[in-house]
Order: sequence, then C-alpha cells, then structure tokens
Amino acid sequence: MSFDVIGRSVKRNDVVEKITGSARYAGDVRLPGMLYARTLRSNMAHATIRSIDTSRALALPGVKAVLTHENVPRVLHYGSPHPRSASLAQDQYILDNKVRYWGECVAAVAAISEEIAEEALELIDVVYDPLPVMATIEAALAAGATPIHDVGPGGNLVAPPIKVRRGDIERGFAEADLVIEGEYEGGRPTPAYMEPNVCVCHWEHTGEHNSAASDRSGDKLTVHISTQTAFMVRGILAEVLGLPLNQVRVIVDHMGGGFGAKQDLFQSEFLCALLSRETRRPVMLEYTRKETFLGGRSRHPVKIWLKQGFKRDGTLTARQARVVFNSGAYGSHGPGVTAVGTTAMTSLYRCENIELEGMCVYTNAPIAGAFRGYGVVQTYYALDIQMDEAAEQLGIDPALLKRKNAVRAGDLAPSGHPLVGHGLEDCIDRGMQEVNWPKTRTHQRSSDGARRFGWGIGCEMHGSSAYPGIKEQGNAIVKLNEDGTAVLLTGTAGLGTGAHTALAQIVAEELGIPFERVSVMHGDTDTVPWDIGAFASHTTYMGGRAAQMAATEVKRQLLERAAEKLEVAAEELELRKGIISVRGTDIHLSVAEALGVARGQPAAHLVGSATYTPTKSYSFGAHFAEVAVDVETGHIEVLQVTPVHEVGRVIHPLAAAGQVEGGIQQGIGHTLSENYEIDPVTGKSLNAGFVDYKMPLSMDMPPIHTILLETAPDPGGPWGAKGIGEDPIIAIGPAIANAVHNAIGVRFRHYPITPEDVLNALRAQKTEVA
Amino acid sequence: MIRFDYEEPRTLAEASAVLKAHAGRASVLAGGTDLLVEIKEHLRRVHCVVNIKRIPGLDAVTFDAATGLRFGALTTARRIELDADVARHHPGLRQATRELGSIQVRHRATVVGNVCRASPSADTLPPLIADGAVIEIGNGTSTREMLLEDFFTGPGKTALQPGELVLAIRLPPAPARTGRIYIKHGRRRAMELATVGVAVSITLDEARICTKARIALGAVAATPIRARDSEAALEGRVVDATIIAHAADLAMAASRPISNVRASAAYRREMVSVLTRRALEQALATIP
Ligand SMILES: Cc1cc2nc3c(=O)[nH]c(=O)nc-3n(C[C@H](O)[C@H](O)[C@H](O)COP(=O)(O)OP(=O)(O)OC[C@H]3O[C@@H](n4cnc5c(N)ncnc54)[C@H](O)[C@@H]3O)c2cc1C
Repeated sequence: MSFDVIGRSVKRNDVVEKITGSARYAGDVRLPGMLYARTLRSNMAHATIRSIDTSRALALPGVKAVLTHENVPRVLHYGSPHPRSASLAQDQYILDNKVRYWGECVAAVAAISEEIAEEALELIDVVYDPLPVMATIEAALAAGATPIHDVGPGGNLVAPPIKVRRGDIERGFAEADLVIEGEYEGGRPTPAYMEPNVCVCHWEHTGEHNSAASDRSGDKLTVHISTQTAFMVRGILAEVLGLPLNQVRVIVDHMGGGFGAKQDLFQSEFLCALLSRETRRPVMLEYTRKETFLGGRSRHPVKIWLKQGFKRDGTLTARQARVVFNSGAYGSHGPGVTAVGTTAMTSLYRCENIELEGMCVYTNAPIAGAFRGYGVVQTYYALDIQMDEAAEQLGIDPALLKRKNAVRAGDLAPSGHPLVGHGLEDCIDRGMQEVNWPKTRTHQRSSDGARRFGWGIGCEMHGSSAYPGIKEQGNAIVKLNEDGTAVLLTGTAGLGTGAHTALAQIVAEELGIPFERVSVMHGDTDTVPWDIGAFASHTTYMGGRAAQMAATEVKRQLLERAAEKLEVAAEELELRKGIISVRGTDIHLSVAEALGVARGQPAAHLVGSATYTPTKSYSFGAHFAEVAVDVETGHIEVLQVTPVHEVGRVIHPLAAAGQVEGGIQQGIGHTLSENYEIDPVTGKSLNAGFVDYKMPLSMDMPPIHTILLETAPDPGGPWGAKGIGEDPIIAIGPAIANAVHNAIGVRFRHYPITPEDVLNALRAQKTEVA
Repeated sequence: MIRFDYEEPRTLAEASAVLKAHAGRASVLAGGTDLLVEIKEHLRRVHCVVNIKRIPGLDAVTFDAATGLRFGALTTARRIELDADVARHHPGLRQATRELGSIQVRHRATVVGNVCRASPSADTLPPLIADGAVIEIGNGTSTREMLLEDFFTGPGKTALQPGELVLAIRLPPAPARTGRIYIKHGRRRAMELATVGVAVSITLDEARICTKARIALGAVAATPIRARDSEAALEGRVVDATIIAHAADLAMAASRPISNVRASAAYRREMVSVLTRRALEQALATIP
C-alpha cells in the first residue's frame, strides 16, 4: 500500500499557534467583569466539619460570594463522569460536611481579584472534629477501621474485589519445577501536567423568568476548561446542577496535558459554575501548582503479591496474584484501574492456570485516578521483574524467556478477544537485534570507579479503548467545501499530543486531498459530534477510524457528483492529491471543479458523518535499557534506552516517537525519583511542589533510539493503526529494575528505587555474603 | 493582596537610609530569584522592597594577580560562570555557578544574593569559603569586612545589621599548585537543590606535602561549615589514600545534617564522606 499523507511527519496543524504563543488555553480566557475564585483546603486528613463561618470573609471588600457545604446542592455523583460506567465510583459531593483527605476542598471564594480571594480564605473559620486517619492500605483494612464512606461494599473497599480464574491453579503449581513468589510495591507518582487545572464558567440568565431563582429555562452555562472529556463534563454539570444538555456548553481549545487525570472533575468545576450563578458574573478558577498535587490525581499506590510456577524449560505453569490498589479518599477510577490492572496479568506472558484477585481500598490519602498506563504500569512492573528473576534462576536469558512465553495470535487478550499478530515477539526480536543482545548484556562494560553497568529488558502490551469496561464510540463529521478543502468536526480533545494533526492526516489520505486542505474543528460541545473523551490510547485508533469512515462517505458523494459531470460511472474514478481522474485515461478534474459553483448553480453541500464502535486492539512494546549504578552514592543513571513498539500503522512518525520519548521520561521519573509523599500518620502531604517532587528534566534524559513496527495491524484501526499513548510508560520501569539487577545483583521489587534504597540493599547484600 | 513599598535608590547612602528606616522589615532586591519566590509563597513578609540595581558600579568584576578577584553585589552567577579568571583560579566556584538552577535563573541570580539568602544548601557558599572569600559590607557611611565563613549565623541568617548591605566579595589569589573542586550532590543535572555540597581547596608543595587545605560543606548543618579536623589531618602530610579516607571520615563526623523529604540525615552524612574523598582525589589530580 502506498500513502500520500499518513506515515509522514507533516507539520503539525497547531505548530504556529503554539510557537508564537497565540494558542488559547482556558487560562487565557478573560471575560468582561470576570471574577477570580480560590478554594480553601482542609488541613486535616479525616474529620467532620463542626462549623464553618464565612462572615468575616464575606465582609472583606471585593469578595462577591463564598460557598461551603451549607449552601451548595448535595448531589451524590461520580468523580469521573463516564456514562454509566462500571469503571467508576459514585461517592462524591460538590462539598461535604466531612473531609477525607488532607487538602480536600471545603469552601470556595469569588472576588474581584485572585489576591483578595486568597486573602478571604484566611478569614473562613472552620472547626473540625478529627476522625482517625487511615492513610495506608494496612490501616484502612485493619479490623474495626472507621469507614471512610457510607457508600460502597463496606470494609473501606471501593468496589467488590475482582476475581479471575482460568485453568487449575493447584495443578499448575504441582507441575512446576520452579516456583517464585514475591511482594511488590508501587509509590505515588503524579502526572504533573504542565497546565494546572483551570476553568472559566459563565452562567447567563437570559430567560424571561430569570427573576424566579428556580426557573432555569433561559439559563446558559458556558464552561471553558482544560479537560480530556468535554462531553462528560457537560453531562455531569447538567445532571448535578439540574440543567438540560443544550443549556450547558463546554469549550476546550488547547490543553497543556492531562495524562488521564483530566478525565475527572475536581470539585472546582461545580464550584466555579455555582459561583458564577450566584454572582451573575463569569468566574475563573485556576489551580496553583501546589493544588494540582493536593487536589489532583496520582497513580494508584499498590501492593502486589505474585507467585508463578515454571517448567525447567521456562514454560509458565501457574500464576497467582493478589493486587491491592490504594484509591485514596475517593473512588474516582479505582474500580476501572483495578479491573484493567488485574486482568492485564492474564496476559503478556501466556499461562493457562491463573488465579488473580484485585482490590481497591479507600484511605485518607490524596485521590488516585486515571493515569497513563491505568493499573497496568503497576502489575506489569511486578510481572516483568518476576520473569527476569525466573530467567536468572532457570539459567535462561531473560529476553529469550520472555519471548518464549510471549502472547501471540489467537491467545485470549485481557479484554476476552483473541489477539492479532505476533507483536510482542516482533518487538523482542527487533530489540535484541538492535542492541546486539544477549552479547551486550553478558559482556558488560567493566566497572568504572564506583560505577557498575547493566542491561535490562522490560515488556508490555496495552489496549486501545477502554472496552469492555466502557463500550466506546468514536464520531466524526467531515464537510467538504466547494474549493476542495475539508473540515473535520471531532469531539476529541487535543491534550498536546498532536492528535488533531493525525486525524487531519487520516481524512486527507482517505479523501485523496493534500494535508494542508484539511482543518479540524474541535472542543465545543454545541457544535462538534458527541465524544467520549481523549483517553485509553484510543484517539487515533477509534476517533481516527470514525474520521476515516466519515471521509469515505464524503468521498463517495464527491465521486458521484464528479461522475455525473464526467459522464462516467463513479467506480471508474480515482481521487489522489486533490485530482479526480478517470482510470486509464488522462481525463481528470480537480475537487474544486467537481464541487464548485457553476453557472446558476449553488455549490454542493457534501457532509459525511460516521460512528465507529470499537472493541479493542493491543499494542506491544519491549524496552532495552542500560544503566549505571554508583555503588557509593546509590545513584542510578539510565544511559540509553532502545524502545521497540508495535503499533499497527504509524500515522505521524515524529508524534509517535514523541509519545515514546515522553513515556520513557515519565517512566524513568516514576521508577527512580518521583513520589508524592504522604505522612503515614497524619496524612499530610510532604512534597506538594516541583522543588521536592523530582521529575527528570531534559538534561537528565538519556539517548533514546525509538523503533516503531507495523507488523501486527489491527482490523479495527485506520489502515491497521493502534494506540501508542499509554504503552511507552509501562515497560521502562521493569527494564530499569532488571538492568539494576544485572549491574549490582540486587533485585528491587518496588518503585521509586531511591539512592538510599540502593545503598541499604548493597549493605544487606554484603552482610549476606559475609 | 501582598502590599509593600518599593524603592529604587540611586546611591548606597540612599539605600542604607531606606533600609534603616524600615528597621529590619525592608529587603534588598538583586536578581529577585529568591526574594520574589519567598514573597509570593508567603514565606517572607516585607514592608519595603529596595531594588539596588539602579546603584552604579555594583556589577564590577576585577582581577589582579596580587590582590585576586573582586566582584560586586550585582554580578550574576552567569557572569562568574563564564569568567576566564574564575575558571583558572576558582574552578570550584565556577562549577557551583554552572550547576545553579538553569541558564535562565543564572542570568538573573547574583552570587551575593545567593550568599545573603544564607540557605544552608546554597551552591556558591562552600567554594567561596574554601577559597577564603572576604565579604565587604557597607551602611552608607562606612564599610567593614569579614571572612565569609563568619558571615552566616543560621539558616537564612547573616551578620548584616539594619541599614547594611553587601557591596562585594573578594577572593585572594590562589597559591601555586592548588587544586579546587566543588561537588554538588542531588538527583538531577540542573534545577536541583544540593542534598550535600562539598568544596575543597588544597595546596601541595613540590614534595606533594599538603601546605594548606580548606574543606567546606553545604546542606549538612544550619550554615555552611568548614571541616576543620579534616583540614588539620591533611596539612603537613603527604596526601595518600589512607589520609584522604581519614579526612573524609572526619568531615562526616563534623556534619550535623537533618532528615527531610530530600534525604535522611544518615544518607547525607554518608555522602559527606564519599564526596569529600572524591573531591580531594579530583582536586589532587589537577596538581601536576
Ligand atoms: C528556579 C530556581 C532554581 C534555583 N536553583 C538554585 C541552585 O541550584 N542553587 C542555589 O544555590 N540556589 C538556587 N536558587 C536560589 C537563587 O536563585 C539563588 O540563591 C540566587 O543566587 C539568589 O540571587 P538573587 O540575586 O536572585 O537574590 P535575591 O532574590 O534578589 O536576594 C536574595 C536575598 O539576598 C538579599 N540580598 C541580595 N543582595 C543583597 C545585598 N547586596 N546586600 C544585602 N542583602 C542582599 C535579599 O534581600 C534576599 O534576602 C534557585 C532559584 C530558583 C527560582
């Protein structure tokens, strides 16, 4: 197949706006008369509010409104508003008379300036009655622990445990020559998106009856917001605030990242809307960086117990695991993360006898939510490290052991579908070739002073789309203009990944017109087609397929019209690079000629609309990483990474590689330095800011030699394309941990692996030897 | 709303008068990379911000083989980082400025601001102390000077009196056969606060006997400190691996670090030993 537009790194369609700074983000919105809101956050991790007195704050000149649990509607709602999804917990109020974590919002102020709003916060007097703080999984699950919620199955569980059984686990272990068992633990990395949460709400009362507070028939709420899920935000605002959908308009223009976390609502959107309703003025509510930690979403901290059986030749005979995710104070995506993370352990490395249990626990800690990798980062860290350990004990090269057990065509994926192709084997093979494995691992560089070197491999697979947890749907409309240009209307958000460029490429390719002739209209719930949101690595896969289908439809209409003009059958026509030609002849005309205004005739109105309902596809990856460990300081440095990803079809190579590099940067951070720390006793947050929450920066990044494969295209995606968004953050963690073991012989089963951990482990290793 | 007065004095006398009038509640503004952050984050309440950048002559850098290097209060970290004389005579200081924040920060930040902020982890303090820096202080009418190592009285606290400001820092010329190193320990290559900082200045005679040693430690006590026992262990001796290891352990014994989210006290102490040893080895390797 030869392509004109896809597979090329065309210039992104938002590049000029971004570079010149003219791109508009929600935080750039300034409306006449706009007020500024700030939120008061609790300094207790678990307490009931005995009283809350706002009179001094209201008396401060410039303050226009103060909201507390006493004057906002009390509606129980989902933290993340996916429609009727099993992935989520319904356990939140806009404001409650109880706080469940340190930093939970208890009041909001709107004032004529941010500074006055901030000052007013100090004038709100809250009296708390403290409750026992259970900031850890152990404390929350202890017998007799105080329930954090009165919804849910009880026992501080967010949802009933998930159980997966296949085959016969006892027989599996009985058949094993080697059984390995281990406990694994994951810390609390946060997405740390560049753009803090922000929204601007304008509640207009334009109706005739707006004097009656209860009559909302003429109201219109407009929300400018940084969200991945504009239509979900619209849905839940409408539901909780009692408005029909056509009276809520959500606008998302550019976004500075989300990484999954910006699927949730953060209390602030409701508060901002209500402050606007009360003051009858537009209100902006923007988080400080600190608030993105306090009130944001992190990855779920986790504890995993994993036991596997192996034959001497490396064949897996049994896998048993218990996974406990720490959801923090609210359920958010806890049930979904638990389901996806736990069931992921049925796959990656094939095994017939499986018994898994996944739990999700409420604690008085910050809320964990959806975050790139969605539970799989955690479980594959454990699984892949244990495979490395098995390889060591069996005397088999780890890459070969992983390859031997790699899932392949026909195997059942975690979603319950048979897998397509041999993506994982292809990734391992190509990476081994590329880095000259196993020689590169067995012939390490010799140590240099205190530095020891090692190589490791980590593997992963990840689904595009959230099926079966959510039955998804991608929608698109393509309009063809009379000059041969086209507009794609899509509801999917552009988080900054270049997704809209990829969608425009797909439309251009399918239509047979140059990329520059396609523009994208997005992010306005009043005009673009309904969209489920940008998450689950599905935008190019699902939204792309819908865009392709809509383009197919427009193309059909166009060729019909051209056929009439040329007096040939439509089947005889082909369309490429904007030229319609009759096959096998030199008769041709441009798209504009086919469509254009002819004497006395209006231009054609060609619109294609399509819906694509996907199941799921899986992308695969293998990361080969080299590290240096300083045995005197404990410092681990990643020296180079060769990531190989099988993605079906590459639409925009540069953007795809960008996803890989970004995932590796985040993954290095999560594995070695990023951890949002909470005092286990008080629940107080200890490093809510970039001074002490340590992300690797550009100068810390090693060379990355990205390889993208197209060997297992999925029949669902456009020309076989699958997702790439989440995959790159998954395999890097175990690759590093395995490389560290290769370098110093210490097996770490947790993240982040800090310098102090390294030194302590080396000391323990020495005493063992002595 | 954070309200404060703002002054732009044109002379040192004017500046001192304003500072005195606010009796300890006025803050000098140089690069502002510490001060403005502290004000915005409500870490410091100020009545008056006194911008000294309109006072002429405060950014002068001079070098003289006999008297050494002198740089004024408005000299930026970037200027020091790129200065050829600094590179030749004060490589430890150069290294500290190279690793301070980011290039953008270094273009604004002054070394004197770094000194006056008196953070225990500030990067330029250990190499300045190891190199024997002298600080010049003025109050508008008279000037006084002191050894930089005596300037710090606690975290964020200095010997400055109301009405006083720092005019310049002087560094005596380095003796021949001197090796100087600063090692900053942290997780990142840039934009990082030191968990431990070690500066060494060591001079050998022709027989490789140590004639002078200065070791200064950052981030392991309430102020930057000198490891005097280590220095004494080195001076008058031929420096070999055993003595280096001993000096490193004495430095560790001198440190009184705290535990916080960045690192535990035990880890910091251990790093003092490792880094002092490395700094000494690297400094010695530069002496032919
Ligand atoms: C992003 C970032 C990264 C940073 N990274 C580092 C780092 O890696 N290492 C490090 O050590 N520091 C770092 N800092 C801190 C800061 O940049 C340095 O301490 C800098 O040298 C301060 O200089 P300044 O000119 O900006 O000082 P200012 O902020 O202007 O002043 C600092 C303090 O000194 C006082 N002061 C300044 N000049 C005088 C004077 N002449 N007389 C009397 N008092 C005076 C001020 O009143 C104030 O109290 C960082 C800061 C930021 C924002």
